[in-house]
Amino acid sequence: MLAVASRASVTTADYVNPVIRATRDVFEMMLGCTPKRVGLTLKTEDAPNPFAISAVIGITGRATGTIVFYVSESTALQALRRMTGTEASRVDEHVCDAVGELTNMIAGAAKAQLAELQLSISIPNVVHGDRHSVYFPSHVTPFRILFDSELGPFCIEVGFTALP
Amino acid sequence: MNVLVVDDSQTMRTIQRRCLGALGIVNVAEGVDGAHAWQLFQTGSFDLILSDWNMPNMDGLTFLKHVRRVNRQVPFLMITTEAERARVVEAIQAGVTDYLVKPFTPEGLKAKLDKWVGVLS
Repeated sequence: MLAVASRASVTTADYVNPVIRATRDVFEMMLGCTPKRVGLTLKTEDAPNPFAISAVIGITGRATGTIVFYVSESTALQALRRMTGTEASRVDEHVCDAVGELTNMIAGAAKAQLAELQLSISIPNVVHGDRHSVYFPSHVTPFRILFDSELGPFCIEVGFTALP
Repeated sequence: MNVLVVDDSQTMRTIQRRCLGALGIVNVAEGVDGAHAWQLFQTGSFDLILSDWNMPNMDGLTFLKHVRRVNRQVPFLMITTEAERARVVEAIQAGVTDYLVKPFTPEGLKAKLDKWVGVLS
């Protein structure tokens, strides 16, 4: 089980394992590869973001939170090709749509493992650009989960707050 | 055979269109959300509908209910991340014909579509 760093993180820790399982399922079924988790830390404000694309999904219900899926341009291009057979030479709306849909499936599969929380997920928003940052609400300390895969490294950040 | 594929994700519509193509189905219309799909359904003639659930403008469940008010026979497959039992029951009560949860393997999608293409052929 995960070690919990602080009381503020207790709630978020409950949701990390479903997100990890969901990520593996999505990559295996949709991309034909099994990602390996290579890191798990609490996100710090000064942690640099090496990934050029991020997809953000909001979650509401008996808990509220955010899941962010970070990938490199190379990984995103390969993901589009594996899912649709389309070869893209640069990141465009089709590549971003593929990243958004992967994020949608990860969040959806995690949500299904947390059915007692009656969660709803938003439509993903995808951001593309070097050195961008995604900020969580100040009262949330998200976990940062690093993966490696055949398609390259990627990262998922997840931060939740249970409603009183 | 005419098929209506409905999903706000072009990636998903492409995956399903390619799978249908591999089964010999080339007459495929694409709806980008439930409202668009409802417009297409009213002006077209479809033998099979594949629809996502969570979409802007009109979600898949509402689209299903619109379809069932005027057509109780056309097979309607929900292809969605909504996997909780209560949601599946909700779709069944609204008249869904079959259900496929995302993520799915290529083989899983093919088997599901092959079943309905076979039934309708």
